[in-house]
Amino acid sequence: MPTFVYMTRCDGCGHCVDICPSDIMHIDTTYRRALNIEPNMCWECYSCVKACPQFAIDCRGYADFAPLGHSVRVRREEDKATISWKIKFRDGREKNFVSPIRTTPWGSIKSPADYAAPTAEAMKSQELAHEPETLKIAALPTVSRDRFK
Amino acid sequence: MRRRKTVSMDADILVIGGGMGGCGATYESRYWGRDLKIVCVEKANIERSGAVAQGLYAINCYMGMHWNENQPEDHVRYARNDLMGLVREDLGYDIARHVDATVHKFEEWGLPIMRDPETGRYQREGKWQIMIHGESYKPIVAEAARKAASEIYNRIMVTHLLMDEARPNRVAGAVGFNVRTGEFYVFRAKAVIVAAGGASHIFKPRAVGEGMGRTWYAPWSSASAYALPILAGAKMTQMENRIVLTRFKDGYGPVGAYFLHLKTYTQNAYGQDYEAFWRDSIEKMVGDYVNHHPVPTCLRNHALLEEVKAGRGPIRMVTKEAFQDPHKETVGWENFLGMTIGQAVVWASQNIDPKEINPELTTSEPYVMGSHATCSGAWASGPEDCAPADYQWGYNRMMTVEGLFGAGDAIGGSAHKFSSGSFTEGRIAGKAAVRYVNEIGREPPAVSEAECEELKTIVYKPLENYRIGRNEIVAGTVSPSYLLPLHGLQRLEKIMDEYVGGISAYYTTNEPLLTRGLELLGMLKEDLAHLGSEDLHQLQRAWELHHRVLASECVTQHTLFRTETRWPGYYYRADHPKLDDQDWHCFTLSRYDRHSGKWAMEKAPVYHIID
Amino acid sequence: MLSNPFAVLSASVPPAIMQAYVVLMALLVVAGTLFDIIHKQSATYFFSNWRNFQSKAKRQVGAGQMASLAVQSAVVDVLASGEFCNPRRRIAHLLTMYGFTIYIVTTIMMVFGYPTNAVPTPGGVVALWYIGGLMACAGGYWFWFFIRVDVVAEGHSPLRFVRADLFIVSLVLSVTFGLVWACAQSIGNAASSYILLGLYLLATTMLFGSIPWSKFSHMFFKPAAALEKRVAEANGTMSNLPPPADAPRKFGGGITHVRHY
Repeated sequence: MPTFVYMTRCDGCGHCVDICPSDIMHIDTTYRRALNIEPNMCWECYSCVKACPQFAIDCRGYADFAPLGHSVRVRREEDKATISWKIKFRDGREKNFVSPIRTTPWGSIKSPADYAAPTAEAMKSQELAHEPETLKIAALPTVSRDRFK
Repeated sequence: MRRRKTVSMDADILVIGGGMGGCGATYESRYWGRDLKIVCVEKANIERSGAVAQGLYAINCYMGMHWNENQPEDHVRYARNDLMGLVREDLGYDIARHVDATVHKFEEWGLPIMRDPETGRYQREGKWQIMIHGESYKPIVAEAARKAASEIYNRIMVTHLLMDEARPNRVAGAVGFNVRTGEFYVFRAKAVIVAAGGASHIFKPRAVGEGMGRTWYAPWSSASAYALPILAGAKMTQMENRIVLTRFKDGYGPVGAYFLHLKTYTQNAYGQDYEAFWRDSIEKMVGDYVNHHPVPTCLRNHALLEEVKAGRGPIRMVTKEAFQDPHKETVGWENFLGMTIGQAVVWASQNIDPKEINPELTTSEPYVMGSHATCSGAWASGPEDCAPADYQWGYNRMMTVEGLFGAGDAIGGSAHKFSSGSFTEGRIAGKAAVRYVNEIGREPPAVSEAECEELKTIVYKPLENYRIGRNEIVAGTVSPSYLLPLHGLQRLEKIMDEYVGGISAYYTTNEPLLTRGLELLGMLKEDLAHLGSEDLHQLQRAWELHHRVLASECVTQHTLFRTETRWPGYYYRADHPKLDDQDWHCFTLSRYDRHSGKWAMEKAPVYHIID
Repeated sequence: MLSNPFAVLSASVPPAIMQAYVVLMALLVVAGTLFDIIHKQSATYFFSNWRNFQSKAKRQVGAGQMASLAVQSAVVDVLASGEFCNPRRRIAHLLTMYGFTIYIVTTIMMVFGYPTNAVPTPGGVVALWYIGGLMACAGGYWFWFFIRVDVVAEGHSPLRFVRADLFIVSLVLSVTFGLVWACAQSIGNAASSYILLGLYLLATTMLFGSIPWSKFSHMFFKPAAALEKRVAEANGTMSNLPPPADAPRKFGGGITHVRHY
């Protein structure tokens, strides 16, 4: 399922170039619009599809094994923290799905530096940050050496 | 040749790779090292880099200790069982005891975790797995890393580690190039955490056209997790323990939710249950391991392979019953959309509705990585409180090179950690690196100017090879004096497939094949000096190939060294077809000498800290 | 004092020749665009695609609604360059588009309406010619050096020239040479003004002559595409996209970029 770009929708903004984990979304030298330069290194991760503000990127299943006529399109709405999918089969059947993608506002994660600085004792222990509270048990488990087989 | 600018910088901790492991390392380093300079370098964009780019539908490593669901010891037994006895129990225990805390933080950060409507607990998919709406798993985790790091560098590919000139066997940093600007980067750091990707695309995949891109593991996992430490002289372990996965045909979509939550099962082409049929023959190969519960992953693969070889394929997963339930149907589809969208595309294209058709399964080509039902990677020091003396020589997750740490795919022996476990291992490495920097790694290492200049020439050589060699031919891809990175990749994949147990050999190899494979790999390694890259994108491909070839050579050496078949279903030594607990209930270790090009192999004992 | 450069030029070049050149350039636009459409069969594709998605329509779009969509498209997408999601790019495009339009209209007015010094050119027309030209250059150079995606996101040098750059480079060069020629001519430097006139004509001919190979004709295609997109939303086909989710917008975010790499 490599991606392709619709000529009539792409305005050459570059978001797909920025996001592609495979570095295969680049800018065409004739139209200054996006294109997938290496479909055989495309994982169909849809990162570019989701990132495109114009919905200009779509996917056509790998020619090795995917017959034509299908469509799997997505609308990722960060401000609603939802992702919506529309799957169309080659024979026209359709399936729709909507899921949440986040429960907190974007940018709201607290920096680790904003927590109280760890004590020297904590530094020497086996505990990681925010432990043992985030373990939700009394203490970090350990194995005593006399139990070694 | 064009002069390229060099950008040099110092850091206290350098995290190579911004995936799950790297983001965990970055976050934790900041918590313990408030004033340290923590730099994370990623060859793509941390927002979507790594194996979790498209998201995940389940977190496969969660104990649920506070609900008394599982204890860390249980996970060690589970991983040990699945890996046919050979895991680093100390590393596994260490991750298992911390991973709940990591998952609780993920939820706090905003990852939607499904809840069981009756109990209110996390919705279990299986004993170790919980279900999530994880489309934005990576962006959420990347946000945490961005809040923690001093600097995050996207689009910089690290090609080599640097060693300390003043102190033997101590890492000094890394070099790489900016994939956009072409600038050369020299990072000097007191501690380096390698959290790069494992190895996909070292064996020939089942699809070879566009479909090459649909690997099970991300195609951008270019074995940097292995090549970087190998070149630095770090010892590697279990590199022969490659993984083969039974997944949905062509799309390699995940089957976990289907088996565990939807309670589906497999059948051969004639509607028969086949696994029981092969039980006795498996027992002849591996003995009592076949009686363990759950049946080890490799043995289930083996049964499927034997059934297919006997001509009773294709193997199908029976979904028609489960999919009549609308909730299960939704889970079945969303399972792909949140994790492997390509499978939904395949089914839509072939009109496969699991309500009406039982979809085909297949076994994938082999992969080498360290975070799934397999544990290849660097040999690392374990936790101070529960690692046996042989496994503990310094700081937690430090490799056999001082100051060099690892997390995720990079660390060997800690199986079944998956995303949450890799992030947790990153946290463990991050804290350990901070302690190292504060205690004995206080002095910045000495980086050789000459070495950097030499590496700079080497890094850009493919661009020069292309530009000069291009003058010889009119046009096209065929040149007598340089190879395109894709040419080298396809040659590598064919060598590994035919000689080191790929799909065309039904995962079978032997000593003569392995020896010949090493000869061919040797010639390929020599040819790497003649890679030709047209532009910076192709230069990235060239260095990914370098890393893959070195890792492949390591895999082949380990496969040759272990004279038994420990994991039938992953690979077979036809000349040593049985499991041999007498001589081989141990780890394999290798150390590469980059000056002589020789590999030194040894065994290391398996200690059981859990009964 | 700035004056009508074509009136000044008419001392050595007959107005009829200037007017013929302008007509020729206009014909090149028509011919070039038609050739582009016919040779590439892009009109065939457009109309077949239009028929295809209309046939799959979930809702019928009446004539009145179609007219309203056309007006919206014209106002928002064309006149306000609404399709650009990057604000800097949008502003640069507006500057270039309106600047070039004003410059072309005033050129035609001067060449056909006030070709000699016999009838004095209204100061406003002359001023607008210079202002339009400067606006086009401002937007054009800003885009060329600082906004172009292949420079900003891909890291290419701003001096790299590929086929996609043919339109903007020839436009910016044409307007630049035009302005500089007009200034040189009004200062009275005969030699340099003839050289600059030559360069002006070269760049202008390249701009209008390269239409089959450049992005010039996209200025006609894009409004059609914008309308098509609006109609697809109105008739329910929405290009196979799922509809917006029915959920509150309380999570912030949006794709924000601090730097490209």
